[in-house]
Amino acid sequence: MIPPLHMRGENNMARIHGLATASALALAVTLAPASAQDAGKGALHVAWYGGNWGDAFKTCVADPFTKATGVPVVPEVGTSTVTLSKLQQQKDAPTIDVAWMDGGVSELAEAAGVLEPITQGGVPNLSAALPQAVYKNANGIYAVGTGYYSLGLTYNTKEIKAPPTSWNDLWKPEYADAVTIPSPANSSGVPFLFFLHKIWNAPAGDFTPVFARIKELKPALFFDSSGAASNAYQSGEAIIGAHFNVGAFDLTAKGLPIGFTVPKEGVWATDARLHLVKNAPRKELAQKFIDTALTTDASRCLAEKLYLGPSVKGVTVSQETAYRLPWGVDGTVENLFLLDWNEVNAKRAELVDTWNREIARK
Amino acid sequence: MTASRTTLALLLFAPLAFFAAFFLAPMAVVAISSVTTSDGALTAAHYARVLLDQYHWDVLWVTFRIALATTAICVLVGFPLAWYLVRIVRWRAWRRACVILIIVPLFTSNIVRSFGWMVLLGRTGLVNQGLMGLGLTERPIRFLGTETGILIGLVYILVPFVVLSVGNALAKIDTVYEDASADLGVGPARTFWFVTLPLCLPGAISGAIMVFALAVSAYVTPALLSGGQITVFSMLIFQQYSTVFDFHYGAALSVTLLMLTLVLVSIAGRIGDGGRRTA
Repeated sequence: MIPPLHMRGENNMARIHGLATASALALAVTLAPASAQDAGKGALHVAWYGGNWGDAFKTCVADPFTKATGVPVVPEVGTSTVTLSKLQQQKDAPTIDVAWMDGGVSELAEAAGVLEPITQGGVPNLSAALPQAVYKNANGIYAVGTGYYSLGLTYNTKEIKAPPTSWNDLWKPEYADAVTIPSPANSSGVPFLFFLHKIWNAPAGDFTPVFARIKELKPALFFDSSGAASNAYQSGEAIIGAHFNVGAFDLTAKGLPIGFTVPKEGVWATDARLHLVKNAPRKELAQKFIDTALTTDASRCLAEKLYLGPSVKGVTVSQETAYRLPWGVDGTVENLFLLDWNEVNAKRAELVDTWNREIARK
Repeated sequence: MTASRTTLALLLFAPLAFFAAFFLAPMAVVAISSVTTSDGALTAAHYARVLLDQYHWDVLWVTFRIALATTAICVLVGFPLAWYLVRIVRWRAWRRACVILIIVPLFTSNIVRSFGWMVLLGRTGLVNQGLMGLGLTERPIRFLGTETGILIGLVYILVPFVVLSVGNALAKIDTVYEDASADLGVGPARTFWFVTLPLCLPGAISGAIMVFALAVSAYVTPALLSGGQITVFSMLIFQQYSTVFDFHYGAALSVTLLMLTLVLVSIAGRIGDGGRRTA
């Protein structure tokens, strides 16, 4: 089901590439001295996200890597989808060696043919990763997870004394107009529909009952960005709903009365994954970088900083961090609802369209 | 002479190259992908999908309705403000302070300002607290997730464009016209209506066109203040590019919005020209 998208991407990109070359030429004349480009020649180029995520990747992985190899790391900051478009555009002559992309976009990148298989020989620590965090297909291993995050039930502890126990609590009349769940513009929006589909035992492939129930929900807002969700919980606009464990515990850390819980139906989760770029100019170093990310130290560091559930076996974290992990205090990766992203991507356009028509209008 | 001509050519080349690289090339990419399939064959299917679906017309109507209302309110608010700055304020320092107050918010990102409105307009926000404190309403009024909320956010962001362009037009009017009108025995109201207003109409219309074009294409403000419960056209475009990854359909949506906006703007421009001619 992915091939059409794959082909779509490739042809698009070939076309864009031609025009991009033309415009790059025009630009090169305008901004002739591009000495900044030479500065990063010996360095490893790694694509990662902005904000506290990028900071954590730098502290937990890039800095130890540079310390061990003496090779500096140049970050290419962008969201997963931006990184994917960069990789597609520089397919013929990549400058990025290693790329972090989230689950979902990872599968699209593999389908677009911009990834190189990761091998046990090149990345010895691959054997330390949880089996669930090693993503492979017929071509080999195309991605490896560096930590899980989940979309759990988040609530205002001042307004709601007893922690909610079920996702169905969002429909309680006392929470009317104060609920928030992700919109499809958020990366968790479409997967969340799959999650609801599963916990409500809806008939296979039929999302009608899911949309019918969401239509009955009385939301404060459907959030597009994690920032909008944080803002809504912070201002009290939303007192219960979905939020990422990373975002929710950031609010808690700021002293706000926000709780995060894994209800009885479980939580949907995904992960931030590392990828080796096809024809990476510095392949050896790129493999070494991925190897560094799969050490217990790096994994623990990411857990402490971003509350990412470790994807490396045998990582122990502090008590304080333990209850902020995506699976809750007593959970493990087994408690997470991890989707087959290819299934999600295949239904993405249809579900977004239905959402627009059914939900996002008055 | 030839030397200066070469210099001129070189000087022109830089902005032209910049324009080609950052405006024409991306536009061409979008236009081409809107009429091609994934195999590169020509097709009108994407446009058919956009134009033959009543849903898209509904969203377009919402988008243009919000943009028109934004424009009308911006002109109604911006005109008196510009009048005040140009005609009433006599103290230079105060006028300068006012202009700075109007311009400074433009330096802040729309995202931050829209987040600000989300807090102000919320159920427990300052606006509702004020309204309830004054006894104007008993229950908090719902602004977020309504067209009113989007309208408030857009007007706040776009009103400076009207103030600046109308203010500029007003400042350029030679007051001898108004004096002449008064000398001929016409009252102030009729002078305003028949002399001053037509003279600053081009300024008002160019301000209005700017506001309208920016309001139609605004993404951040409607996306945040709609709370995902109202859809404007730019949100549909964003979805196709960012979540669905259908660049062809997304491009067709973009070109549709662009064309319809251009049509409306050129109609408005014609009215502006007419105003100038009669004046």
